[in-house]
Amino acid sequence: MVAKENKYTCSDLGQEEIIKAIRENGVERVVVASCSPRLHEPTFRKCIQQAGLNPYLMQMVNIREQCSWVHSHEKEKATEKAEDLVRMGVSKAARLQPLEAREVPVEPSSLVIGGGVAGIQAALDLANMGFKVYLVETQPSIGGKMAQLDKTFPTGDCAICILAPKMVELSRHPNITLLSYSDVEEVKGYIGSYDVKIRKKTRFVHEDKCVGCGLCAEACPVKVDNEFDLGFGQRKAIYVQFPQAVPLKYTIDKEHCLHFKTGKCQLCAKACTNKAIDHKMQDEILTLKVGTIIVATGYEPYVPAKKGIYKYWEYDDVITALELERLLNASGPTGGHLVRPSDGSTPKRVAFIQCVGSRNKKIGNNYCSRVCCMYAIKNAQIIMEHEPDTEIAIYYNDIRAFGKGFEELYHRVREDYRVEFIRGRPAKLRLDPKTKYIKIRAEETLLNRITEREFDLVVLSTGLVPSEGSKKIGKILSLTVSPDGFFMEAHPKLRPVDTAIDGIYLAGCAQSPKDIPDSVAQAKAAASSAAAPMFSKRVAIEPLTALVNEDLCLGCGLCVEICPYGAPELVQGQKGGMKAHVIEALCHGCGTCAASCPQKAIAPFQFTDDQVYSEIESALMETSRKHPAKKKVEEGVS
Amino acid sequence: MDEVEKVFIGGLHEKLTEEKVIDESQLDPGFTDEIYKYGGRDVMTCLQCGNCTGVCPISLKIDYKTRNIIKCCQFGLKKFTLGTQWVCATCYRCYEHCPADLNPAEVMIALRHIAVREGLVPPFVRTAAGNLLKYGQSVKPDAETTKIRHELGLETIHSQDSDYHEVIREIQVLIHATKYDKLIGIGEETKL
Repeated sequence: MVAKENKYTCSDLGQEEIIKAIRENGVERVVVASCSPRLHEPTFRKCIQQAGLNPYLMQMVNIREQCSWVHSHEKEKATEKAEDLVRMGVSKAARLQPLEAREVPVEPSSLVIGGGVAGIQAALDLANMGFKVYLVETQPSIGGKMAQLDKTFPTGDCAICILAPKMVELSRHPNITLLSYSDVEEVKGYIGSYDVKIRKKTRFVHEDKCVGCGLCAEACPVKVDNEFDLGFGQRKAIYVQFPQAVPLKYTIDKEHCLHFKTGKCQLCAKACTNKAIDHKMQDEILTLKVGTIIVATGYEPYVPAKKGIYKYWEYDDVITALELERLLNASGPTGGHLVRPSDGSTPKRVAFIQCVGSRNKKIGNNYCSRVCCMYAIKNAQIIMEHEPDTEIAIYYNDIRAFGKGFEELYHRVREDYRVEFIRGRPAKLRLDPKTKYIKIRAEETLLNRITEREFDLVVLSTGLVPSEGSKKIGKILSLTVSPDGFFMEAHPKLRPVDTAIDGIYLAGCAQSPKDIPDSVAQAKAAASSAAAPMFSKRVAIEPLTALVNEDLCLGCGLCVEICPYGAPELVQGQKGGMKAHVIEALCHGCGTCAASCPQKAIAPFQFTDDQVYSEIESALMETSRKHPAKKKVEEGVS
Repeated sequence: MDEVEKVFIGGLHEKLTEEKVIDESQLDPGFTDEIYKYGGRDVMTCLQCGNCTGVCPISLKIDYKTRNIIKCCQFGLKKFTLGTQWVCATCYRCYEHCPADLNPAEVMIALRHIAVREGLVPPFVRTAAGNLLKYGQSVKPDAETTKIRHELGLETIHSQDSDYHEVIREIQVLIHATKYDKLIGIGEETKL
């Protein structure tokens, strides 16, 4: 037994000491009592492997994150706990078995889920590196939320003008298969070989025959609110979402189509010169095999509460920021002319209310949505450019202009356009019944006065919340989420695009709210992370899987039912009878089976009953520190 | 006008600046903990958005800013806050709207507890406490009320305290046992 103390055991010097102890003193097991294994387990495994030991004969004891950091107010007790933890680690280390890491081949193809700007960028980058990419988008067209925006901050580029070329490039890329209007239904497997089941929802239009001429939509008699314009404009029951849609293929909205309601109509099919429309088409199920997955499922704008104080559902002239984007957009329902929804007049006084649905503990959205300050400032600028005599006030709590060129835009809007910034969260909105103008009452906190001002139009700067699609995909892939509901990255600083599951990466607003530059940057990072295992063609997989003791197994099949990954199966045992067998590639070593097995016949490596019980015993062992009286006696004797 | 002259016509007294600058000696570092101890939530969660002031029915009428008081609490400016909290009607509207999930009304109640323990009891509170002690109810029609009622042509309210002697007695015992009378400074009147 060799015990060494070191300030930074993870440093080269510290590792040297471990190697020296193994070589010179014949150490067979190593216990490192330091930080979380998530941080340095790989470091120390490599270190003892270098010295000739099996890398799995090392036990890390976390006395930092799970001990000293969380018990910083109780130093004595924390030290006691650290001693217990070390004793547990030592007793477990004595029972560790040598294991061999397995290597698996990596399929040189990637699945990108979500066709917003992040998904598009990640797909393009991977395709340009030479990998096969499948991009799945649930909507009829790719483009995501960025396609709905008017201009982008801080430069004022037209959103669709800079996005459309990428969308077209993607659809024409030989390495990319675009699966629009499709949903991921099931994902099985592990890094290097994921089996993916995709439902390609039917458009009732043959994509290979449709040329996007629009004759069908002209013929269609059904008009419905256009979701893309957030209900401001209208579309037909056979439609493309927007003129720049990719792919430019028409889709029948089954819910509103007259044919599906009455069994008649079919005017679109008659109008189509290419015979592309077929009301009898069915959904298709595709199966793919991919090596890596990038999740770019994006966000949804927060929907103001039904009886909230900002009266979104009561007053026509209270709109959300995304609705404003559509009203300002040249291809939007008003052709880019800002109007009051109530009477169609041009608003002369516009108020923005910040932090609606963000930074609010009452509704559980504690986080800052990061984009609202800047899009409000940007939209104020656009309104001023359209109608220079507009008065604009922005009710804010804190202005966060943190990105490149953001602060400059903030100053420009204040100085050149005379936009008024009011620090205070409005308390009350009131509609003047005669004039139909909206009065906002708020404490202007920097003035220390309550004011009431009148506006023609009120824009709620709504925050970003995880999309419904994200929640679905999160369940399918078993991804972990942060308290804010967005997907959790493997490490907030050093592994910002990885998930806890090898081979699955995050890009864009699925991970947290972010602006377009950040989404694109993260997409590029995710693409490069996903490319690494695909370039090296093989990856090592942790051998910490469950193992069945056939002598004890009764073949009850409980583990088969309970396993979240579908790893155990029942097979004919060597000595007869049905026995459980674990498909190692699917097993994540979570231990659910071990906890449920009535026979204790199944256990994951490194967490066998023997090892766990030995840890418990050492945790409960009586020590001199726990019994001061005993300590005194001992001291007296010595 | 005098002060302006003093500043601009050369007679600048140190006193003038001295009074307006808040320095550490005027701060009370443990103030937030004290508020917490008396039932207020953690005032440090306040983001100073001002929503509470905007919805406060009192703030609309008098120079009282809920947000400002919370700021003073955060800062530890005890002497700026004690005295203002009595106007709060504890309608809890501020709580309903607070995005930080703080409850300013509870903070005001905590501030009242603190003020009373520091001996800062405004006369109307002492009157109400005295009423509670004498009649078993804090609001009691007094001479002033009777006068106003007469002016409005309403008759005098006749108290029926005598019917509830037992109950009032119980209240008095409780007040005495909990030393509430001493806290409020009405100990003299409760000789049992």
